[in-house]
Amino acid sequence: MDRRQFIKQSTFFYLGGLLIPSTLLSSCRKENLLDVVKFDGTVMIIGAGAAGLYAGYLLKSKGIDFKIIEASNAIGGRMGKLEGFADYTIDTGAQWLHGKNNILADLIQAKNVQTTLDETELSYWFNSQIVTTLPQDPFIFEEENLPDVSFKDYAHQKGFGTEYDAIVEAIAGDQGASASLLSAYWNSKDEENWVSGDEDFKFQQSYFEVIEEHIAQPILDQIILNTPVQSIDYSADKIIVEDINNVSYSADRVILTVPISILKLNEITFNPVLPTEKTDAFAKFGMGPGMKVFLKFSTKFYADALYGGTICGAYVDDTVGKSTSANVLLAFIMGDQAAYLHSLGSDTAITNALLQELDGMYNGQASASFIASTVFDYTAKPFIKGAYGFSTIEMGNAREIAAQAINKRLYFAGEAMNINGHHQTVHGAVESAYNAVVNFLNDSKK
Amino acid sequence: MRLQHLYYLVLLIVSINASAQELKVDLSYNYSYSNQLDKIIQTYNFSRPFLTEKQPLFMNGLNSSVSYVFKNERHLKSGINLAYSYFRSAAENENFNMTLQLNFLKLGYFLHYENPAKWKGLYTDIILSATSSGLFRNVNGKAFIYDEATSKAFGIGGELNLKLGYYLQLKNQTYVSPFISIVYTPYLYSPNSEVVINQTKGLCAKNWTSILGAQIGLAVHLRQEKK
Repeated sequence: MDRRQFIKQSTFFYLGGLLIPSTLLSSCRKENLLDVVKFDGTVMIIGAGAAGLYAGYLLKSKGIDFKIIEASNAIGGRMGKLEGFADYTIDTGAQWLHGKNNILADLIQAKNVQTTLDETELSYWFNSQIVTTLPQDPFIFEEENLPDVSFKDYAHQKGFGTEYDAIVEAIAGDQGASASLLSAYWNSKDEENWVSGDEDFKFQQSYFEVIEEHIAQPILDQIILNTPVQSIDYSADKIIVEDINNVSYSADRVILTVPISILKLNEITFNPVLPTEKTDAFAKFGMGPGMKVFLKFSTKFYADALYGGTICGAYVDDTVGKSTSANVLLAFIMGDQAAYLHSLGSDTAITNALLQELDGMYNGQASASFIASTVFDYTAKPFIKGAYGFSTIEMGNAREIAAQAINKRLYFAGEAMNINGHHQTVHGAVESAYNAVVNFLNDSKK
Repeated sequence: MRLQHLYYLVLLIVSINASAQELKVDLSYNYSYSNQLDKIIQTYNFSRPFLTEKQPLFMNGLNSSVSYVFKNERHLKSGINLAYSYFRSAAENENFNMTLQLNFLKLGYFLHYENPAKWKGLYTDIILSATSSGLFRNVNGKAFIYDEATSKAFGIGGELNLKLGYYLQLKNQTYVSPFISIVYTPYLYSPNSEVVINQTKGLCAKNWTSILGAQIGLAVHLRQEKK
């Protein structure tokens, strides 16, 4: 073989050897996951919170038939809005985008939604005075190898006296938990997977409106409100979902996005009953009381953010990032403090208790400049019953077990079912939703 | 690798006379397949229907390398190789143009075989490289920064490259050679790749991947001896 022949033959060899396999491989490689999977059945999504809405939004984009049934009379779950209280729309539920390395940060950038970095400086109510620094740094819960004890006990073990209890309560409150129930160890394990970022952002419009406009709007006609589910029968080929009025809905797959509190309380019955491992996992979650109270004042006499109240762990200026002249203070109350205020029995009593504490902190200025308040008690909401799911002592892998599908037909989503460290957030709920859809489509492969 | 194997490898390197014989520079098109990186990008695309333009897979890239072949009168020679590979995935959406840049830097030792009497100008290289990778996310033309740090994922692994080429003489000591390669990275540990692309950790992919690739390119050789 001469050189010319060799080159000719080798050229064919190279092209054949490289390009043909490359072309074949390329044609097998799709940019989108599960593009080749066709699902002709119907999906029933239970719950129209962030997870349920996103699951629906995703299914619509894939051309899959679905319905969302929501127990309450509104979409949003633990998101909501209040208009008319101030000159801006108030987020009555989730209001911060936690970090900008997440799917919703991508959404708001793509949709050109305006946000503001919340750079509020923390102050503390400590030894009956407002201070900007503390003798000891109480943010000790992100270290490695923490013991499986409560935040409260761990703080005491580390030498923090009872004068820090209310501040530790506020830190635990960020996780929607009471400091006496939140596990230092399991919470830190959760934090290991947190990759969203530590910066918090607020929306010029409300967070709820962003989700409503960009996620819910395209699927509103698929949402059925005022339909609390009482049972799910997945014993036959078709899954039968029955509401409290005994109206039945048939589906091939179900994505359950109800709060973990509803599952813990067995408010939905299953046939066949869920495996014990599953119900045990639900039981290990914490989901404590949670409340947000918005207090409107004629003057701004308060710090931008104050931790350490014994009635309310965290008072935060709600107007940060808003175009407003109003003075609205958010009382962010979780755990034992929320349980106490809930026990007072009326919005007026709750407001008075908060004003009394604020008067003590600010020399009576709260009552003097008070205009109005509005209370959002998530514990009292019959289809929510709490703030958000948190990791308790001896939590173990309960979250992973809780999030697992049953018989490749019942799927679980929602903030508590986020298994990658982003639970307790809206973007975490969204991630759990698309993960449930990915799983069910994978399971549906012929 | 067992100690005994390492000893034989070192012996092989030392036994090959180490003085300058050939300098080689090459440039190649690089087709690449990584199951885990595919999965991450596919999940990213799947989960974000609000982005109409999908993020392409890391499929097509460029590779460039410099090799130094040690002098040896035998058919089997050895050398060292420094290579750089670059892959880019860009999707332009309104208000959101995302570019992912995947870079590899590889330092390798290789065995080079040629036998002019039997094979004419044909040669083959077997390259074993230590590989490092860097994955970066740019949004709207700027490095994506959060918490005051650039979004990035570094990786480390090993690579095996089997190359087949053919010498064509240009001048006395200058040759060019078209070549093809099969490149296999059995293990690239890059735990943050999912964080950079899909902004999650442990949700859709492992923290390591294997990569299979093929290259076709052209090398320029400066050889001390006339062939």
